[in-house]
Amino acid sequence: MPAIRTNCQGMTRRDGIRLGLGGLVAGGLVGTLKARAAAEQRTADLARQADACILIWMDGGPSHYETFDPKPDAPAEIRGSFAPIATKTVGMQFSQLMTRLAALSEDLAIVRSIRHDQGNHGAGNHYMMTGAPPRIPVGCGAFVSFHPSMGSVVSKLNGAPHGIPPYFSIPRMSRSGGPNFLGARYAPFEVPDSPTSSSFQVRDVTIPSGLTEQRYDSRQQIKCQIDQMLRINEQAAGDPVLAVDEFYQQGLELVSSPAAQAAFDIHREPDVLRDRYGRNSFGQRALLARRLVSAGVPFVTLYEGGWDHHEDLFNRFEEKVPPFESAIAALIEDLRSQGMLERTLVVALGEFGRTPKINDRGGRDHWSNAMSVMFAGGGTPGGQVVGATDRQGYAAIERVLAPENFVSTIYTKLGIDPGQVLYTPQGRPTHLVSDATVIAELMS
Amino acid sequence: MDSPTNKLLTLRKLLAAGMILLLFCEAKAAETVGSELPVSFELDVQPVLTVAGCNTGACHGKQRGQNGFQLSLLAFDSDFDFDAIAVSARGRRLFLPVAEESLLLRKAIAAEPHGGGQRFAVDSYEYRTLHNWISQGAQRRIADEASLITIELSSESISLEAGASARIEVVAVYSDESRRNVTQLATYLSNDDAVAKVSDEGRITAGTIPGETAIMVRYMNHIRVVEVLIPYGQQLPPDHFASMPRSNFIDDLIYDKLQKTSIEPSLPIDEAVFLRRVYTDLIGRMPTAQEARDYLTSSDDNRREQLVERLLNMPEYVDYWANQWMDLLRPNPYRVGIKAVFNYDNWIRQQFRDNVSYDRFVHDLVTAEGSTWRNGAVTLFRDRRTPDEMATMVSQLFLGIRLECAKCHHHPFENWSQEDFYQFAAFFSQVKHKGTGLSPPISGGEESIISANSGVVKHPNTGAIMEPKPLYGSLMSDRSNQGDLRQQLSGWITSTDNPYFAKVQVNRVWAALMGRGFVEPVDDLRSTNPPSNALLLDALADFFQQSGYDLKQVLKLIVLSRTYALSSTPNESNVQDRVNYSRHYRHQFRAEVLLDSIAQITETPNEMRGMPVGSRATQIWTHRVDSLFLDTFGRPDENQDPPCERIPDSTVTQALHLMNSRELDRRVRSDQGRAARLAKSQLSSAEIVEELYLAIYSRFPQPNEQAFATSLFDVGTNDAQQHRRAVTEDLMWAMLNSPEYLIQN
Repeated sequence: MPAIRTNCQGMTRRDGIRLGLGGLVAGGLVGTLKARAAAEQRTADLARQADACILIWMDGGPSHYETFDPKPDAPAEIRGSFAPIATKTVGMQFSQLMTRLAALSEDLAIVRSIRHDQGNHGAGNHYMMTGAPPRIPVGCGAFVSFHPSMGSVVSKLNGAPHGIPPYFSIPRMSRSGGPNFLGARYAPFEVPDSPTSSSFQVRDVTIPSGLTEQRYDSRQQIKCQIDQMLRINEQAAGDPVLAVDEFYQQGLELVSSPAAQAAFDIHREPDVLRDRYGRNSFGQRALLARRLVSAGVPFVTLYEGGWDHHEDLFNRFEEKVPPFESAIAALIEDLRSQGMLERTLVVALGEFGRTPKINDRGGRDHWSNAMSVMFAGGGTPGGQVVGATDRQGYAAIERVLAPENFVSTIYTKLGIDPGQVLYTPQGRPTHLVSDATVIAELMS
Repeated sequence: MDSPTNKLLTLRKLLAAGMILLLFCEAKAAETVGSELPVSFELDVQPVLTVAGCNTGACHGKQRGQNGFQLSLLAFDSDFDFDAIAVSARGRRLFLPVAEESLLLRKAIAAEPHGGGQRFAVDSYEYRTLHNWISQGAQRRIADEASLITIELSSESISLEAGASARIEVVAVYSDESRRNVTQLATYLSNDDAVAKVSDEGRITAGTIPGETAIMVRYMNHIRVVEVLIPYGQQLPPDHFASMPRSNFIDDLIYDKLQKTSIEPSLPIDEAVFLRRVYTDLIGRMPTAQEARDYLTSSDDNRREQLVERLLNMPEYVDYWANQWMDLLRPNPYRVGIKAVFNYDNWIRQQFRDNVSYDRFVHDLVTAEGSTWRNGAVTLFRDRRTPDEMATMVSQLFLGIRLECAKCHHHPFENWSQEDFYQFAAFFSQVKHKGTGLSPPISGGEESIISANSGVVKHPNTGAIMEPKPLYGSLMSDRSNQGDLRQQLSGWITSTDNPYFAKVQVNRVWAALMGRGFVEPVDDLRSTNPPSNALLLDALADFFQQSGYDLKQVLKLIVLSRTYALSSTPNESNVQDRVNYSRHYRHQFRAEVLLDSIAQITETPNEMRGMPVGSRATQIWTHRVDSLFLDTFGRPDENQDPPCERIPDSTVTQALHLMNSRELDRRVRSDQGRAARLAKSQLSSAEIVEELYLAIYSRFPQPNEQAFATSLFDVGTNDAQQHRRAVTEDLMWAMLNSPEYLIQN
């Protein structure tokens, strides 16, 4: 007879603390499910350079001219009204608003020559987020997915410590940031609420507000007592109750673990650090991302909209960029002071660059022939520019690279072989990235 | 129930045949071809390229080939391959005067850098075959060349003891009546390695656990299947099932199979388990406390029949079964427009409301004409805009035939060629769009689908105009010869002469009720994916046809069978059975079922954007309606193309959501909710407990449960009323977090 477990083996929140499960988040305790998944899925561990990636998605497509690729010698209708500024690196110039990142240029690698041919938001997002162009033409506002996003792939192949969702997208998923055929369990965990509020909590990982800890414990105990369902404790029987038990336990450990709770709680950060990130939602989300990475989350997307500057670009940049670039700088500095920068990759990009000629509304339109992508940390040699656009910023002309190279670089840094073959539920073999060539200059 | 992961693994392994396993094949020569014997390109060279893995999907068989050298996938196209090897690239792959200097050979033995490494050694059969062919002049055909007619297996069905092994022999039969043992040159693939493995030489070895699987044998484009059974237990006496109760032919055919596989079925379930099972299966919601109480206290002998009859006529039936078809049909409103999707959704629901027969439903879809603003059914053709898109969708949904592969290359596991595909697609060649096309993300315009008198489908490689031709059989029936091409196609699809049509639908329904289809994935019927009970699948398909394609009759037949009412608790002989329905296969409820039950249990209405307050989740007209709960519990995502299949696995995110979601806690603790109402009522604590068990688990509490739960109310506290409400809420919360709530038992 199969062993059928009917006794109560639940555990309350206090038990969890008593058992010292706090250490689990540090990676000490690895769940059987995760271990199995890792054994099955992980390809030969390439020389991994980074344990985590924080991907800053500037939705809409930021202008390359006004960020990392100024063109002071171009005619006025192209160069715009901003001036270039020097960075700490000789010969490397940023646009005038990027002052704090300019001071960190020794940590940064700017790739100026990634280009593609998908000039609308839906398609551009898909290509950059997944490394695969959309299979059929898609409209501009379309939310499409034909291929798993980087975050979902990392979620599946690298996993996270016990009970912690491995892929966060904050505050929400970008258009093509989903799992596609990998299935819903690799979808990102979204944190929609604003982290600037004093009552901010990451959803579903803490006791619901208004409920006392005592009452929460009492619920767990009642659950443990009334939960009398037969468990067919035999893998061959394929009983889904076993998985429900397992995940309930993991969830409970997460809620019970002070270390895990700390990961989600930005209120624990000193005020001075929170100020440095900026008391705005993007700044505080960047701080949350750093805490999640400290807890072992391997992929966090920070989604920040509002980069589709078809009009009034310069005024809007003056408003938008300073707090934004300052938060990124704070993130890089904080990672370094925590000793995490070497193993944490920070990437900032949007779906494409912007048109060279400023339009009659003072904006720039979609332009996928050129864009700038910022890399920092995770073994990326800093103080360098990879590739170049022509003198007027029309097109990448040196070291021309594709989204495939960009995505392959991130995978490789995270120890994932971009050339591997995945299988769709229909059984169709699909290359993770069709061209697995990395951007060699970014590798350590 | 078979986990989807396993299903995927099986599929994945199938594909791996074409891709990975072959890479490791090291077939030895079955017979040596001497240099004096003429070597045939088709009969000798192509099998070598296949067994060495050159033409797999991961190597030169993939579209656009590998490093400029492309072969047809698994050697389905001899002319193409000959051209690739001997003609293209200015013939540089072969060097006829000195065969061993040919690039083809030097790459294969890795004397030149080769991404695929060394495929075979110089002293191998493979090398000699290629070498001889080249030195004989690399001819496309040899004189009087025979052609391969078929392959024969030494056995097509075997039964093995655990750990035992047996060998299959494969013989190729040629047009000149010659025969050749090709066991070493054939490739083999087990659908389930855990049940039985197969070696490159055709030796099948049973695993340690009982079960059944199929082994695919392929030699060139001929595919056969060996069914393997490892019996589950001691052989049962021949009359073992004679005295077991039977309701209908389902039980007969299930018992026959259990007898054959030596499986003792689980015990029958009690009324409470039946009640919850049949409510959730037929109408997608749990019984209310009152419905549960009424049923469980009834003493009517026919109460199951009466209940089933009642359920099939409830409005929830319409929404639940429509909801399942929505998964398959309903496109993304960001792509095709809100109005078109809303009308489509409404049209699908109306078919279930009117209990339209399944053949009529399919006919009206396949032949739909008119405006997207007036006839919801045409949205199918607004979404699928080209004949090849229409053909793949229609064949998969209504025939269970997955043609997607054949669009670009010969289907790797079936005999569907590109020609078959485009001939089938030609039935849609005259579908025309008029009006405003797609302009995502709004696509708000009106579009009409009309049947024109013109329009053709061309073969993408040859450019030839394709004549419409069904995948098998012919357009013989009266109905098929009338009307336009889609009318003809619909006549052929829905004809009772077409067994696939009924089969794929009863398989889908059976899977929905029984936790697993006879064939998995449910719409992938092919010889290499045999059903776990072919006789029963056939019998149900017949029954469905005889009933006039009446879904309700099939549902009634299944849920009133004894098989349906078996317990999920296994016994020693059936704990490993996951395909023979000797016990019920548990599964987690669908996202919509759970959300609606939360509304019902907590007595708080669902509030969803774009829907009236109190709507059920099964009434949502698009998955774009926001719901963190539904997303967390895995509803399909219309952004995905194709929409992800529902993966019923549980996740830690789900556990966290039930445990900590503020929304759920709010509903449990709502002043207008059930807990507040019960606490305020005159009911005793024992009666409150009973009410909760009926509402959440659809059963009365057992005495020990009753005693424990009631005792929670007795603990002294300052505010008795507040305490009573808190305990009621906490009990409700605890029950909602238990597997008994989430899992259909």
